[in-house]
Amino acid sequence: MKTISLRLVVAILLAGIGLTALVIASTYDIGSARRMGPGYFPVVLSAVLVLLAVAEGVSAFMKREPESTSSRIDWRPLLAILAAVAGFAVTIALFGLIPAFFVVIGLATLSEPRYGWKPAAILAIVTCIGAWLLFSQLLGMTLPLFRLGF
Amino acid sequence: MFENILLGFATAFTPENLAYCFLGVFLGTFIGVLPGLGSLAAISMLLPLTFYLEPTTALIMLGGIYYGGEYGGSIASILLNLPGTPSAAVTCLDGNPMAKQGRAGVALFITAIASFVGGSVGIVALMGFGPSIARLGLGFSPADYFALMLLGLVAAVTVGGGSVIKGLIMVVLGLLLGTVGTDVTTGDFRYTFDFLELRDGVSLVAMAMGVFGVSEVISSISGSKTRKISEKVTARSMMPTREDLRRTFGPMARGSTIGGFLGALPGAGTVIAAFMAYATEIRIAKDKTRFGKGAIEGIAAPESANNAAAQTAFIPTLTIGIPGSATMSIMLGALMIHGISPGPLLISDHPTVFWGLIASFWIGNLFLLVLNIPLIGLWVRVLQFPYKYIYPVVIALICIGVFSMRTSVFDVSLVVIFGALGYLFQRTGYSPAPLILGFVLGPMLEENLRRAMLMARGDPIRLVSDPLTGSLLAISALMLVWAVLGGIRSLVAARRKDQVFPIGEG
Repeated sequence: MKTISLRLVVAILLAGIGLTALVIASTYDIGSARRMGPGYFPVVLSAVLVLLAVAEGVSAFMKREPESTSSRIDWRPLLAILAAVAGFAVTIALFGLIPAFFVVIGLATLSEPRYGWKPAAILAIVTCIGAWLLFSQLLGMTLPLFRLGF
Repeated sequence: MFENILLGFATAFTPENLAYCFLGVFLGTFIGVLPGLGSLAAISMLLPLTFYLEPTTALIMLGGIYYGGEYGGSIASILLNLPGTPSAAVTCLDGNPMAKQGRAGVALFITAIASFVGGSVGIVALMGFGPSIARLGLGFSPADYFALMLLGLVAAVTVGGGSVIKGLIMVVLGLLLGTVGTDVTTGDFRYTFDFLELRDGVSLVAMAMGVFGVSEVISSISGSKTRKISEKVTARSMMPTREDLRRTFGPMARGSTIGGFLGALPGAGTVIAAFMAYATEIRIAKDKTRFGKGAIEGIAAPESANNAAAQTAFIPTLTIGIPGSATMSIMLGALMIHGISPGPLLISDHPTVFWGLIASFWIGNLFLLVLNIPLIGLWVRVLQFPYKYIYPVVIALICIGVFSMRTSVFDVSLVVIFGALGYLFQRTGYSPAPLILGFVLGPMLEENLRRAMLMARGDPIRLVSDPLTGSLLAISALMLVWAVLGGIRSLVAARRKDQVFPIGEG
């Protein structure tokens, strides 16, 4: 047993999702086959999901493939991009669209080492102008450009 | 029939609609050219732009985005040997060798022509068969609908190749995500975790952007340094020789026919159509060795096939309300957001929408041809632009797109979750397309099953004994059994090989 393959981890994750869904669904009204309640479909689906995920996990465990480069996780871009999206969500709620654009672009550029703040700042400014032109001027959407609401 | 077509063109030919069609094609091509992003990402990213438009105008623009996205994918695959969309992968086989021989311009020109021809054939098929299939659909019972959707889902998993079990997992997860929200029949909340936002269900755009957009961007970042285009593409270099043109007629005709037929079938879709058309050309070619080394037939056939298929894929989507592919399910979602529920009644209840949409498909295709020949230089420059400066903007656009859908911060945080999941799935060989398909079909599948079971008094035997429902379910079952047996056989074969040649101690 050298390393647990990523494939197995994902299968276990999926089985976990299925199991959680099954536990939650069992509190819903199942009904009968003739008059299905809101719980019927979710119970069947989550049970099938658990079975499939277990089967996939077993097959990942049995058929061990050599780890290829495509099944490796690139942590740096993954975390940077996810942080960028999350940062956008927080900033737009608190400070509005323009600060949110600076945050999302600033954090996204952390995906690569030595990106530099200058190109990031230029990109953010260009994006703000472009978005303002497209959304506010051309399509007439009302978006909160700036705000200070807590 | 003719007055309907006229009605359609009259609807589509207003200056406003033409302008939005143009804008759609332009923006769609732009996004399609970006590596890793295809027509599906283009539609989901640009969907919010259509919210403020009339439904018909919005659909016309969406149609334009869709074609633009498909064509943009072909440009990327020919110049970079990096398919932007799965269906463009076949175009790489001969397109990229052509580019290496300095004939990228001709390849792009033939692609545009073949797309237009394939698209036109598909549109004619859509006009011809759409109404009659809708009439057929009127007679379907809930049980038939259930069986048909199930067949579509099973076909999407088993026909496309790849792991069946992973595909099934994605479908079931998608169906399960589709149950989130308010139960239509009883009004009970399911899996809402006390979030107000989840009562309307998970946002389709947030999910699609997470599993397709964000995860693709993350994986493209590390591979982006090696990309380079040396060829210069000018308008002059696009002119094909007489020999080139002569060689493309047959492949385009055959490709369009194959694509038009396969596109209408559930689950087959554009990818299979392109592969089949390519395989057919190799089979009938006198000199088979030319393929893979820049044979122009190897571009003309798959490109016309995938565009014809893309067109006829609208037949089940619009007339029965059952999308055959992930892109179609996004289109279906977009239609529903605009208050149009596709189904057998669409043609009779909303004739302007149906025929206007068809006319705009054709105009969109024409625009694509007219727009892309002069603009090809621009697209090449977009491709040459360092990816470093593109992806932060793409992420920003995904965020603002999802946010502006329902001005919801919650939806943006869903993108984080789906982005992480999508990246994990992508690394381990799960395809996100069945996930989206299952998600969109889920609520309809459940509702029809419940109605069917009510009518059958809870007796599944009664459900199966109906000739149409029964045979549809039997086909699904056969496809599954066949696929599972194939999977077991390959697993056994792999084990046996392991025993003959032991690889380490594991």
